[in-house]
This record gives sequence, structure tokens and C-alpha cells, in this order.
Amino acid sequence: MTPALSLRGLSKSYGAVAAVRDISLDVGQGEIFGLIGPNGAGKTTLLECVLGLCRPDAGAITVQGIDARSHSATAMERIGAQLQTSALPDAMTPRQALRLCASFYARAAQPEDLIRRFQLEEKADAKFATLSGGQRQRLALALAFVNEPELVILDEPTAGLDPPARRDLHALIGAQRSAGRTIIFSTHFLAEANALCDRVALIDRGVLVALDSPEALIARSAAVPRVVVRTDPPLERLDLETLPGVVRMTPAGGAGIRGWCLETSALTRTITGLGPLIDSRRATLLDLQIHRPTLDDVFAELTGGRT
Amino acid sequence: MKRVRAFLYHFQLTLRLNFANKQPLVYGYLVPFFFLIAFGTIFRSGTPPLLHQMSQLVTISALGGACFGLPTALVAERERGWWRRYRLLPRALPSLLAGTLLVRVVLIASAAAMQILLAHLIYGTPWPAHWAHLAVGYAGVAWAFLGLGLLLAALAGDVPAVQALGQCIFLPLIMIGGVGVPLQALPAWTQRLAAFLPGRYAVDALGAGFTGDGRGAVFRFNLAALALIGLGAGLAGTKLFRWDSGRRIGPAARIWVVAALVPWVAIGLFALRTQRWPALAPGLADPAEAIASAQIDAIAYEGLPPDDGTVTPLAPPVQDFSPEEKERLNQLAARLELWAPGRVSPASQAMRSLISVAAVADASEDPLEGGIARLVFNHLCAHFKQDELEKGLASIVLYPAAGHVLTVMPELDLPDPIDAGIVRERDAIYAEKFLGRIRGRIND
Repeated sequence: MTPALSLRGLSKSYGAVAAVRDISLDVGQGEIFGLIGPNGAGKTTLLECVLGLCRPDAGAITVQGIDARSHSATAMERIGAQLQTSALPDAMTPRQALRLCASFYARAAQPEDLIRRFQLEEKADAKFATLSGGQRQRLALALAFVNEPELVILDEPTAGLDPPARRDLHALIGAQRSAGRTIIFSTHFLAEANALCDRVALIDRGVLVALDSPEALIARSAAVPRVVVRTDPPLERLDLETLPGVVRMTPAGGAGIRGWCLETSALTRTITGLGPLIDSRRATLLDLQIHRPTLDDVFAELTGGRT
Repeated sequence: MKRVRAFLYHFQLTLRLNFANKQPLVYGYLVPFFFLIAFGTIFRSGTPPLLHQMSQLVTISALGGACFGLPTALVAERERGWWRRYRLLPRALPSLLAGTLLVRVVLIASAAAMQILLAHLIYGTPWPAHWAHLAVGYAGVAWAFLGLGLLLAALAGDVPAVQALGQCIFLPLIMIGGVGVPLQALPAWTQRLAAFLPGRYAVDALGAGFTGDGRGAVFRFNLAALALIGLGAGLAGTKLFRWDSGRRIGPAARIWVVAALVPWVAIGLFALRTQRWPALAPGLADPAEAIASAQIDAIAYEGLPPDDGTVTPLAPPVQDFSPEEKERLNQLAARLELWAPGRVSPASQAMRSLISVAAVADASEDPLEGGIARLVFNHLCAHFKQDELEKGLASIVLYPAAGHVLTVMPELDLPDPIDAGIVRERDAIYAEKFLGRIRGRIND
């Protein structure tokens, strides 16, 4: 099947700074694909190259089998996009903005339908200046879907939103998956990428350093699960060392040490052994936390902890 | 069809948004209104009131709308990221840009219409004499100035830079380009420099519509000048147009700016070398000097009104006047000796002003009109060398619309204002009558 987006050897420099270096990747049809990386990693530049907002120095970009560099207008008919920064005129209303953008596409959604789909009914005829941050983002998202695109590109769609607005937007993005659209988005929120994406690409200093599903990336990570346990009285180091799977332990709980952080290579066996140990020492369990490796750990590992 | 609908929707939406915003309304209509009041305060006693300044007034408003209004709007929109968003729409930028420019044309043209209407209502300024010329001339002015506005928008990095760059065009055109300050009031080098600026071509193109002066070949030349200036600036502005504020202008931009200025230089050189530059004014080296003998020889002296008729009468060299009439003529002769407009440089302008005395006396049906014309003729013969006089008079015959004419002379007891067009027409006839006599082609 033709990939929704295919990049081959994409490079872009600004003077001496290489923003994107020889990136090749395919995004499959119907995928939700995340671009993650530290600030200045080259995510936005990469997306701008795909959208024709900047001209790559080298490489090929194919959108739904169309060469996006030589047939950009044809490609843009099939791409919807939401940019990091693009305000609308203060006096323009969402309905006017949607109608204006729709008028330029050969195939376009009905503005009324988009207003409903992106929950803008109450503000459909309000001036852009009066919209809240969340409403503006919903409008930007609606504009990205105005041409019923096969490929949607969202650049940091949840940046600057409060948690409820972010959750709303996640639901809206998730709902597009059922419509069979391919969605590519960049984000700083790794939990967001973890929850929404089928696959993620980790970019650092313009280089593609990892590309896989979040689960596979985590599984490949050198990070191990951690168990934080607090008891009264505290367990002894020597006792804990006997637990199966424990590879490292560090005190947890600050100055009045009452707990331990255990790094384990066998999470289930460690927890299973913890219960009898607490009983045998006549201690009371105060708190038990389990931390599995996440994309944050992968991110920190691959980027050296830069954000 | 889809594309046309998109263009029309963007056009009407942009127009509505402009009218929903206070700032464009203030700059678009209130400022032109203040200019009208300022001009009206100074020129309301003109004849007819304000008519000869209307082309300047409308040019200033169009220039303001184009040099500040358009680029300020475009750069502000670019800074807010609208054009970056628009860039994502397929094949939309030319249509969006054309719509934006068309909206600006509507805004500045409606401001001009407002000025014409209010000038008529407040000061009694006559309606434009030739609406078709005014419409075509205005189209040329809008084309040229909006082209400049587009170029300014491309060059300016932010809104404050628009103000700085806009002033670089606005002020020179107003002060030394013949738009705000009459060319006649400027030193010679400035007048020559003004030929290289678009301002005067705009004023004269509009003037053809308001007063009827400078139609025909002059109008076509002015229009061609504006078209070329607009084309050069518009091409450069389109080429350098920045839809993204993060996109910097490269060194190649200098080449495009130079390309945009090439028409200015070419038109200026052409105008000066072909005598098409209308600034036959004091201070400039006398354009009459360029009149060739063949041009003077070709003047036919045919179809001139009779000397004893009602139009351009000329008293015979010897005529008996009553003592009162003699007294008045003597006083007038004495005043002419000291009369400043008759002593300016270049000589051809002084001659034009002196002949205007005869023309005004004739048009106002002064009882001594023939005698005054004879007095002017004698004054000319006494104060100018024959060669100089022949060329000066020939220049008035050949270029009646050039230079500056006086329409009222209370200091010479000729207080009734006369329409400038009539004065020019009679100037040309008197000049031909005088020239014929000097060259022996008409018996005196």
C-alpha cells in the first residue's frame, strides 16, 4: 500500500545549522504518528518541509504517492495542517474562516459540519479575538480538516492548553482515527504521544534517532521498572537484597528515611516476595508505588536528558 | 468557477473586516477628510475654489493609503501568521493578494470620492470636468502607488519599518515631487529631480480629469509613466513578497529594488529630454530655449480672431485714449515694471504671466482690454531680447498647458478671477498675435 507520507534523505540547513539531516521514514495509511524530540530538534522544520513552507536542501517528499516538491498544490489538496502560530484576523469569525478556507479546495467539508464536529457552535459567529485558547485550537484543528484531508499534520496542537482542553483535543484527534485519516503530530508531551500514537519518531539535533511504536521503544529501553515501598518500621537493606529480581536499591523518602526505591528486572516476582517479607518483619505497609519505564525514559536515554 | 468564488468571498470578507476595524477607518477616511479641510482652508478662495488643488489632494490620500495603509495591513497580517496560514491553501496566494489589493483600491477610491463630494458640498468645488479621464487617471495612480505599497510590504521587516520606509517615499513626493508643494515654488535642481518621481505624473493625470488641462498626449504620457512605475514596483513586490515573518530577504532583493526603480529613472530622463516634463516653471533652465527655429517657422498665424473683435482684442500701435484711460494705462505700465510675476526666471514663465494680464483683461471684458494687450506687447518688446522673446512666445503657442498661469491680479486692478483654462487659451492666441508681429508675419 502506498504510504501516506514518505520521506527520503530529507535535509534542511539554515546557514551553518543543520535543522534536518538525511531523514527517511514512511507513515502508513490511517496511522497516528508522533514526532517527538527536544526543543530545536528539527520537528517543526521537518513538518514545514512537508507542507511546502520551507524548501528542503535535499531529499524527496511523497504524499499519497504524489511528489510534494514538484506538485505541491496537488499535494496540498490532500493535506490538512495546523501550525504552531497562525492567528486569524481579530474580527473574523470561525464560520467565516472555515468558509474562506473551504472555498479554495476542490473538495471541502461543510463549515456547519466542522463547527459541530469541533464543538464550536457557541462561538461560530464570535470574533476570533474573543475565543479562548482552547477554542482557538479547536478552530485551528477544524481548519486543518476543512478539505477532508487524507493526511493531517498538527504542529504541537496541545501546546499552551490546560489539561481539560488538552483532553478535549485528544478526544477529537482520536475520533479522526475512525475516519481512516493519517495524522502526524509533533508534541512535547510524551504521555500524549504514548497514549495517541501508533508509532513515534524521536528526532534529536535534526537526526532521526528512533522510530517504532511507543511499546517497542520502551521495551528496547535499558530502563527497568521501579518499586517504591515505605513501611513502619522501615525494612532493612539486607532483607531487601534477598528479594528476587532486585538489581539496585536507593533510599526513598527524604531525610526521615522510611522507604526504598527498588529497581528490578522481574517486577512481578519482586512484588510477590515483598508481602511475606513485610509480614515476617512485623512491619506496616505505608505506601507502595510501581513505576514502569515510559517514553520519558526512552527520551532521556536517547537525548541525554535534554528537553 | 470555484477559484472565482473563492476570490470574491475573500474580497468581500476582507472589505467587511476592514470596515469592522477602527484603525483603517481612521487612516482611510478621517485623515483624508482632515487633508481636505486643510486644503480648503488655504485654497477656498481660489477660482474655482479648490479645483486646481483637488488632484494634489486626491494624490496625497492615495499615496497615504498605498504607502502606509496597504503595507501596514500586509505586514501586520504577516506578523500574526495569517499569510503563513493562507500559504497552506492550494494555489491561493495570487488570488488572496489580488483580493487584498482590490480591497485597498476600493478603500482609497472611496476616500477620493468622499473628498470630491465633500469639497463640492463644503467649498462649492465644481464637479470634475472629465469623469472618464478622472477614472482612468485614478486607476493609473492606484496601480502605481499600490505597486509601491506592495514593494514596501515586502521590504519592511515589521510594522515600524513600514512607517520608516513609507516616509522615505511619502515625504519626498509631497515636498519635492510636486504633490504637496507646487513645482514652481521649488529650486531648479529639485524640479529636475521631481521628473524622476511618480508624484507629479499622478497629480497631472488626475488634473486632466478635474480641470481638463493636460488631456490628450500629455495624459497618455502621464498614464504610461504611472503604468510603468506600478509595473516595476508591483513585479518586485510580488517577487519579494513574504508570507512568513521568519523569512528574511536575501541579497538578491537589492537587484529587484533596483529593477523597480529603473522605470523612475527611464521616465525622468525621457520626460526631460523630450520636453514632456510639465515643469516649465521659475528656477528651471528655460525650456523655451529648446524651441527650434523650425518649430517657430511652422507657426501659421491662421484663424486668429480679429484685433478689433471681442476675443483677444489688440489696440493699434497708435490710438487716442481719453485722459482717464491714458492715466490708467500709465499707472498699469508703471506697475508692470515692478510686477514680480513679470520678472521671474525663466523668461518664458515671466512672458506667460505678462500675457496672462492681457488674457485676464480680455476675459473679464475690461473696457481697456485692447489697450492693455498693446501695453503688454510693448512691455514684452522693451524687456526681452528678440530671440528670447520669439522662443518664449512660441513656447506659449506650442505648449499652452505648460507653465503656470495667473487667473486674478488685484494688484493690477484686475480683480475678477478667470478660469485657468480660458486664460491659457487666450494666452496662446495673444502669444501668436505678438509673435506674428515681431517676426513680420502679421502687419501691425
